Amino acid sequence: MWGSDLVAQRPEFFQVVKSPFDDTEVVCVKALVPDYAIVHVQEADIYGNCRILGPSYQDALLARAARKTIVTTERIVGTYRMQEEPKLTAIPHMLVEAVVELPGGARPGICYPEYQTVTWDDHKAYQKAVKAGEVPQFAAKMLEGRL
Amino acid sequence: MREKLMSLAQAADLIKDGMLLGIGGNGMHRNPVLFSLALTRKPLKELKVCGAAPGIGADILLATFQADTAYFGFFGLENEAGLAPGMRKAMEGPEPKARAMEGS
Repeated sequence: MWGSDLVAQRPEFFQVVKSPFDDTEVVCVKALVPDYAIVHVQEADIYGNCRILGPSYQDALLARAARKTIVTTERIVGTYRMQEEPKLTAIPHMLVEAVVELPGGARPGICYPEYQTVTWDDHKAYQKAVKAGEVPQFAAKMLEGRL
Repeated sequence: MREKLMSLAQAADLIKDGMLLGIGGNGMHRNPVLFSLALTRKPLKELKVCGAAPGIGADILLATFQADTAYFGFFGLENEAGLAPGMRKAMEGPEPKARAMEGS
């Protein structure tokens, strides 16, 4: 963080302190602790063990930073899938409080490799709904039969 | 291990006013969009959202003014999807409805 204006701009997140090991100064960063991480994955079992296919972004870290994680998943898989290759479990069950089977849960966005392009008609409808203040109405349409 | 399967409505009920939510995915990729949309059907307020590069999942909660703060490094939908419309609606103008805590 040395050299970044953020140290001066965000004192609620960045503080310079003396190192406990020597006389050097170090920048400490305050951790955000989300009440919930909410993550959409391709595969989860009924206990909350999750596999993420393709890029995982910060989702595995997010689940570890949060108090608990809520998972929505393209499909429920058998736990044998995790046991076959344990190191591919991006989020383990003990971090997870809820698992929702929700195919298409990332639409109108993308969920590799299930659907690889934005659903443009729905995304344009979202953009219009934002401008018109009608996002709950857009939500009602997208959620029909899904709750 | 305990079974944790539930409906989208049941999972959405876990979210309470004022909570900080880390919304996964990136831009238009692998966001929990239907979960965020389910939250817009509830009278939630003063939510906070965070992520390194939050996308449409967080944008939805800013669009409805249910989230009043976003902590992020970069906030956008990227490529053809462009800027995040809900984030802009909540943060632009003389009297913004939400606070941007970039670089946090």
